[in-house]
This record gives sequence, structure tokens and C-alpha cells, in this order.
Amino acid sequence: PPPSPPFPLLQIHPPSSSSPLPACFLPAPTTPAARSRELPPPPPRPRRALARAPRDPKLDTVEKIVEDFASDMALNPFSSGTRLRDMIRAIRACKTAAEERAVVRRECAAIRAAISGDGQDLRHRNMAKLMFIHMLGYPTHFGQMECLKLIAAAGYPEKRIGYLGLMLLLDERQEVLMLVTNSLKQDLNHSNQFIVGLALCALGNICSAEMARDLAPEVERLMRSRDANTKKKAALCSVRIVRKVPDLAENFMGLAASLLKEKHHGVLISAVQLCTELCKASKDALEYLRKNCIEGLVRILRDVSNSSYAPEYDVAGISDPFLHIRVLKLMRMLGQGDADCSDYMNDILAQVATKTESNKNAGNAILYECVETIMGIEATSGLRVLAINILGRFLSNRDNNIRYVALNILMRAITVDAQAVQRHRVTILECVKDADASIRKRALDLVYLLVNDTNVKPLTKELVDYLQVADPDFKEDLTAKICSIAEKFSQEKLWYLDQMFKVLSLAGNHVKDDVWHALIVVISNASELQGYSVRSLYTALQAYSEQGSLLRVAVWCIGEYGEMLVNNVGMLEAEGPITVTESDAVDAVELGLNRYSPDVTTRSMCLVALLKLSSRFPSMSERIKQIVSQNKENMVLELQQRSIEFGSIIQRHQSIRSSLLERMPVLDEAAYLVKRASATQATIPAYKPAAVTPGGLKLPNGVAKPAAAPLVDLLDLSSDDAPVTSAASATTAPSDFLQDLLGIGGTNLSTAGAPSSASTDILMDLLSMGSSPSQNGLPSPGLSSPALGKSNSNRNNDLIFCFCSHY
Amino acid sequence: HPTRSRPPSTDADPRRWHSRLSAILPSLATGCHPVRPRRQIRAATPTRPRSSSRASADLRGRRPSLAMINFVLLISRQGKVRLTKWYSPYTQKERTKVIRELSGLILTRGPKLCNFVEWRGYKVVYRRYASLYFCMCIDADDNELEVLEIIHHFVEILDRYFGSVCELDLIFNFHKAYYVLDEILISGELQESSKKNVARLIAAQDSLVEAAKEEAGSISNIIAQATK
Repeated sequence: PPPSPPFPLLQIHPPSSSSPLPACFLPAPTTPAARSRELPPPPPRPRRALARAPRDPKLDTVEKIVEDFASDMALNPFSSGTRLRDMIRAIRACKTAAEERAVVRRECAAIRAAISGDGQDLRHRNMAKLMFIHMLGYPTHFGQMECLKLIAAAGYPEKRIGYLGLMLLLDERQEVLMLVTNSLKQDLNHSNQFIVGLALCALGNICSAEMARDLAPEVERLMRSRDANTKKKAALCSVRIVRKVPDLAENFMGLAASLLKEKHHGVLISAVQLCTELCKASKDALEYLRKNCIEGLVRILRDVSNSSYAPEYDVAGISDPFLHIRVLKLMRMLGQGDADCSDYMNDILAQVATKTESNKNAGNAILYECVETIMGIEATSGLRVLAINILGRFLSNRDNNIRYVALNILMRAITVDAQAVQRHRVTILECVKDADASIRKRALDLVYLLVNDTNVKPLTKELVDYLQVADPDFKEDLTAKICSIAEKFSQEKLWYLDQMFKVLSLAGNHVKDDVWHALIVVISNASELQGYSVRSLYTALQAYSEQGSLLRVAVWCIGEYGEMLVNNVGMLEAEGPITVTESDAVDAVELGLNRYSPDVTTRSMCLVALLKLSSRFPSMSERIKQIVSQNKENMVLELQQRSIEFGSIIQRHQSIRSSLLERMPVLDEAAYLVKRASATQATIPAYKPAAVTPGGLKLPNGVAKPAAAPLVDLLDLSSDDAPVTSAASATTAPSDFLQDLLGIGGTNLSTAGAPSSASTDILMDLLSMGSSPSQNGLPSPGLSSPALGKSNSNRNNDLIFCFCSHY
Repeated sequence: HPTRSRPPSTDADPRRWHSRLSAILPSLATGCHPVRPRRQIRAATPTRPRSSSRASADLRGRRPSLAMINFVLLISRQGKVRLTKWYSPYTQKERTKVIRELSGLILTRGPKLCNFVEWRGYKVVYRRYASLYFCMCIDADDNELEVLEIIHHFVEILDRYFGSVCELDLIFNFHKAYYVLDEILISGELQESSKKNVARLIAAQDSLVEAAKEEAGSISNIIAQATK
């Protein structure tokens, strides 16, 4: 236990540390009036000495507690309840979140009680507690009015804590804030500069547009005040006012320009920031400042960069880098698109760019800003070379921060001088391989901008090589960028295919669906490369069978172009012959079917491929039938249905099988690209929710059907208009049936069931399946959402035809 | 303050909170990181929550920026918030979310990486002092290096004001830390580049409060005497 405290008061209010309970558990306070009768009069306390007593470094010593207590008592002589310090301690002592909530709840209850009672003398402390509670993330809205009351009080301490509470507990969107306008106005006119300062600070941090309009005249007046601190605060406050109400910019521009003649750095910094804001807000202000302050700015920059050592403003040997940077930023605004202004700045910019030391962060910050300014204004070519050289130095710096910043600015420099940026290509490529995620991302974005017709091949090669060793986290970004580059420069088909095959092999799991869809469209269009594609994919699949997208593309190609794989049709010169038997090809697909058990899309594709192979390789059909039938009892309806249907096609309907399983018609590339572009825009808001929600629906047998969304993607793949037109005339009627049959598009029973009767007798017979809607029309959950609707079900029909080819 | 330093303790020990922020000030005072070897690609980094995918629609888009510095955050190594100051409007809900996302993003970063994190189209500049992370969120085209200097400026002023500041100072005297911050930033813009000037202004205001307390104290004495 601590030694007995020196004041009798403390025996009545023991510090919480001596009590086994946190202070908040102590008996509730009696009213101040009652207490004043009970208490012995406090002895005269040597408060002065206490206030001056050096702060004891050991935070929790008795002296410290006593001192705090005394200072609390000094403000509220008859107060009780827990002190701020005790509350913080109690909260920190909590072991669990529940405990913490309990303590906070108790405190809040006490504060509410104090607010609704007269609670005058505890207001100060309660506000401090509320701010702490607010910081922990608990609701504190009930304290908002207390802020206003404190602000309206006469004393400085109350106002200080009141304004702090106002800034922390409220933001500009709260109605309560309007009530404070009057108090603010009074305080802005107060004779005490610190009270004016508080009001300006609050106004600058949270004022709303209405308040800005109401109080702008006061702030304007204060910018003319004699006190430097008031001036700088008023200038920054006007920054906020101008942001909120750009119309007011004209009122401030004369004042802002005149503040630039001051000596005080705080005022200068604030004034420069105000000017920058004015330039953004109004064209007139920009013109005015161009005329009136460019000389002043150059002078300020010259003075501050030539000034001798000034300890007050010195940062790592550089005099006031903050002022440097702000002036440079304003110069950029003024010089942009104005040759005269830019001309005027050239000398001083050259001086800053050459003389600033670059071994410290502060110096580099100035150089960074200077380079940006040179890039931004109409600088001379010599100056630009200087800037690019500085960037080169930055880029080879060992400090990650500097390299990050260099990459950042090169992004902007590329529009100014692409050639100069190209020179640093090697270094930038190195940065793509950095250990730091921020740097990698910047560098990759930059490389993406650097790619052009001449360097696309080496750059892509580098990126693809790096893909092999990249972080799993980073692979997704990298893959997307490589694919995007490859597609952008895909005039040379063979090169594009090669790159895509490599990406699929190395990071097939990160390739987006639309990317491999596009790849399939390209393969289907490049008839002379189909053989090469299927062979390359088959070879890649042997080595990288774990890559999902690779497997899908490979399986699709094997299904379509199986005979080219086996017969080495369409060999390219550079290609070595491979020997693949029919059984090998079936093996590859079977492997995919078995390996990817959870992925319905892949497995469905495998089944379709097997079906197609059964017609390409008649000798294999018995084996294929066996593999397909393994899925007859699959719990996933989609697979079960395909398995049964495909089984019957193979077994019983050999006469129509070959025509049913012809190769897919060439997919329309242009139509796909258009659709893809619109899909990527529409996908995010509308498409996703519709596709994803039904995926969670339960089937009657209680098995959730996964992968509804991929199915939709799959359908999208071939739902171009081209096959519709080619096949439409013959197939309008049976398409409904087929859709029903394969259980993909059976959205609404009306479309699925009714029209099937007339034209489907043959098919019915053919597939020996019942046609009753109740049996076939089990809606496939993936598509049962009304949002996809009927137009989609038509698209789905097309799909079936794409897969089964012209029926 | 020689008595304030405590013996070094393990990570689990809460007393390590006492470690001086300024213990690492000397190396920072140079304003430059110690030269670090370029690291080659690591095999794997710890997976980090992807902020963008979880971001709600209201926060995903960039809001029009209202300030150079959109907010200031002080987070402890354990993810506890020590100070927050918002210069752009965020609702309470958004604030909680921002803090959660950023602490996930920043606290997991290794010590040798750069001090910038890209987040929802903004950049968050952070710097670690002992157990505390000082974070400031700026626009994508602002000067990151300068913000590092502003953070250091703030820390040096805190250090001067508290006399070798430590995390506990900022916990128990959080309001004073806010007062200091209010003398450095208004409306997300820097207002004073002189540490001495800030210290002088804060001291003047503190003495104003002291004087008011004295006055209140003497009045209470009079009342006490009268009621005796």
C-alpha cells in the first residue's frame, strides 16, 4: 500500500491504486452540496509548488498520483467519482473486451447522470473521459451538447477542452454543429489571442459550408491581425473555407498575396498553402496570383535556400524544408501552362535542384518536389534533363522510400519524356522483383506504361520469367498485367499464344476467366495454329497439371482438336514432333476430371471433351463411355445429368454422334471483345449478386450446389451472336428442349416445358429420357435467378449448340 | 530523466510500453534510414488481408479530398488506437473500419520495407517509433517524403513537450497530445515549421490553464473558509 498521503482529502478519496477495486467501483458520489457539509475544510495547499514540481518520471509513484489529484481537486474542489487517470487505468486493466465494455458502460452511465444533473463542476473531466471513450470506438453522441456548453463557458480551460471535444466528437455533418456558430463568432472576436486561436483551429478542422459562409468575414479580419500566430491560423482556416465554398476565393486572394511578404515562417507556410488552394478553387485567383506573387515566391525560395544555419527551422542541415516544399508546389500551380511564369522560375529551380543535399530525407523531399515542379511547368529542356538525372539517382538509391518515390514520379514523367524513362527500364524491371509490395506494385504499373511495340517481347519475357518465383500475393497482379500486355500486342498470334501458354502454366490459378475465354476465341480463329496450340497445351499439362485455367483451356482444345494432337497435323517449323496416342489424350482429360473434383466447371468441360473425343477416336469410345458413366451418381446435378446424357449419346446414337459432335464453329472474335468490354463494366454492380446468391441455394437433397458463377461464365464464353445466326434457322424449337435436357438453362418451366413436345420426339427417343417438365425442369440453381431472365436462357441455348455443335 | 528508464523486458511484458519513443530518435534524427541491403525476393510473405475486396461500396470510391492530410492515426504495436484526428469527414462506422483495415495493413509490414502503403487510392505514410506507429493518410500525388518529415516533426515536438515521450504519456495525457497536434496541423495542412514556436505556444496556453486553476482554487478556498 502507498504511504499515507499528505492531505486529509486523500483519506476520503483514496487513490484507486490502494483499493482492490478499480475506482469506478467505489460508492457513487453524493451531491456536492451534501459533501460540502461532510468535508472538513481543505487546508491551504502549496499548489504553486506542486504545479512547479518537476514531473516525476516514474509515472505511478505516489507523488504523481497526489499531484494529479491535487490538480483535479484544484479545478473541482468538491468533485468525486473517478478521475480520468483512474478510468484509463481501469480500462487498461481489463483482460477481455467484455470487461472493457462493462467499465465503459459504467463510466458512460455516470457521465450521462452528470450531464442530466447539474454536473457543472465535473464537466471538464467528463469531457476528457468521453474523448477517451470515443477514441476506443464507443458511441459518445450524448456528450455533444456538453462540448457546446463548455465552449460557451467563460474560462480558457473550459473552452480549450470544449473545442477539443468539439473537434473529436463531432464532424461537419452533425446538425449540432450549427449551434456552435454563435459561440465561434464570439470567440473569434475575443481579446485573448489564444481563445481566438482555439476558435480558428476548430473552424479550420470541422467547419461546414454554412459555417464557412457565416464566419468568413471574421476570418478575413483576423488575417489582418497583428499577431503572427493568429494570422497563420486564420490563413489555414481560410483554406478550409475556400475548399467548402469556392466562391469565396476572390475575397481572400488579395490578403493571401499580402501575407507572402511576411517574415514569420509559420505565416509564410500558411499563406503559401492558402494561395495553392485559391489557385485550385478559382481561375481568377490563379491569374491574380500569377501576376502578383511570382516574384515574392521566388524571393522566399531564394532566401530560405540561401539562408545560413538557423537552428529554429533546421531539419538535418536544411533550413525549413516544409517552406521549400510548399513554395515549390505553389510554383508548380502557377507555372503550369504559363511560359512567362515558368521562365521566371527556371533559375531558382535549377539552383534548388543542384544545391540541395540528397543524403538526408529532408533534402530528398525537396528534390522530389522540385523535380515534380520542373515536370509540371514549361521548363527549359536543360532543366528537364537535370530533373531526369535526379530521378535516375533516386532510382538507384538503396533506400526503399526513395526508390518508391522515384517510381511514382516516373509514372508522371512518362508523359513528358518517355524516352528518358525508357532508359531506366532495366532498373525498373529490377524493382518489379523487389521484396517490398508497395515498390513492386508501383514498378509493375510503370512497366505496363513502358511497354511499346519495340520492347514488348523482352519485357514480357522478363515478367514471365519472374512469374515463376513471384510471391503468391503478387502473382495475381502480375498475371493480370502480363495477360493485358499480351492481348494489347497480340497482332503476332504465335507470340501471343506462347505467352499465354506460359502464363497459364506458371500461374494458371490466377488467370481471370475472361482472359482464358479470350484465349479460346483466338485459338478457334487461328486455324493454322490449332494443332500447335493443342500440342503445346498437352505438353504443358503434363508438367503443370495443377493449374486450373491451363487444364480448362487444354481440355477444351483436346476435345475440339484431338485428332491434331494425335496426328501432328499442322506442324510448325520450330516445333518438335511429339507422339501422343489416342489413349494418352483420353488419359489427360480423365486426369482432369478426377483431379478437380470440387470444380464443376472444369469437370463439365472434361465431360464435354470426352464426349467429343468419343467421336474423334471411335476406338476409344468404349473406354470413354466407362469414364463418363462414373459420374452417373454424382451428387452435383449438373454432372450427373451430363454423364447420363452423354452416356446415351455414345452408346445408342452412333448414327448422329459424329454430326452432333462436330467441331465448334469459329467464334466471332470481334463480338466477343465487345461483349467482354461491356461485361467487365456491367459485371461489378449487376451481374455478381445475381449469380452468386442463388449459388447458395440448397438442392432438394440438401446438397449445396457450388460453382454457379463459373457455369454462367462458361455459358458466356460461347454465347456470341455468330453461332445463333448460323444455327438458328434449324434450331429454334429444339433448342428449348436441349436446354431443358442438359439442365443448364431450365430457368422457367414455361419456356422449358411447353414448346418441347412438337419437335423433340426424335431427341426424346434418341436420349431415352422422359420429357415431363417435372422431371427435367428441375431449375438449375445457378441460373434460376430472375435477374438473368429469359434473354439469358436463350443465350444458354446457343451454348449447348456450341458444345454439341450443329445438331 | 535517468530514473525513467527501465530494464529491457520481453515482448510479452506490458512494461515494455515504457520504452522511449526517442530511444530510436538518434537514428531518425539524421532524417535518413540506415543503409539497408537490397533484399532479394523472398519465397513467401505472410498473407495480408486484401483491403479492397472487403471494402464496402461507400468507402471504395475515392472521395473528393478535403485536406492534404486526410487523417492522422497513432496505433500501438498491439493495434490499439492512441490518437486519431480526422480532417476529412468520416462517419464513426467508417472510422472504425479504416482503423481496422490500416492496422492490418501496416502492423504486418516488415521493418525494412518502405514507409508507404497504398490504400484505396490514397497513400498512408507511416513510421514506427518504439511501440507506436504514426500514420498519416495523404492523396496519391502528395509528397510522401515530406509527410515523413511532418511525422518526425510531430514526434520531436512531443518528445520535447513530455520530456522523452513514451507511449504511456500519450495514453494518460492524450488530450495534451491533441493540443500539440492542433498547433502543428490545421485543416490537414502544416501551420508551423518551428518546434520552438510550437513549444512556446503550448507552454503559454498551459500556463493560462494553470492560472485559471489557481484562481478556481483560491475561490474554493474562500468558500471553504467561509463555510468553516
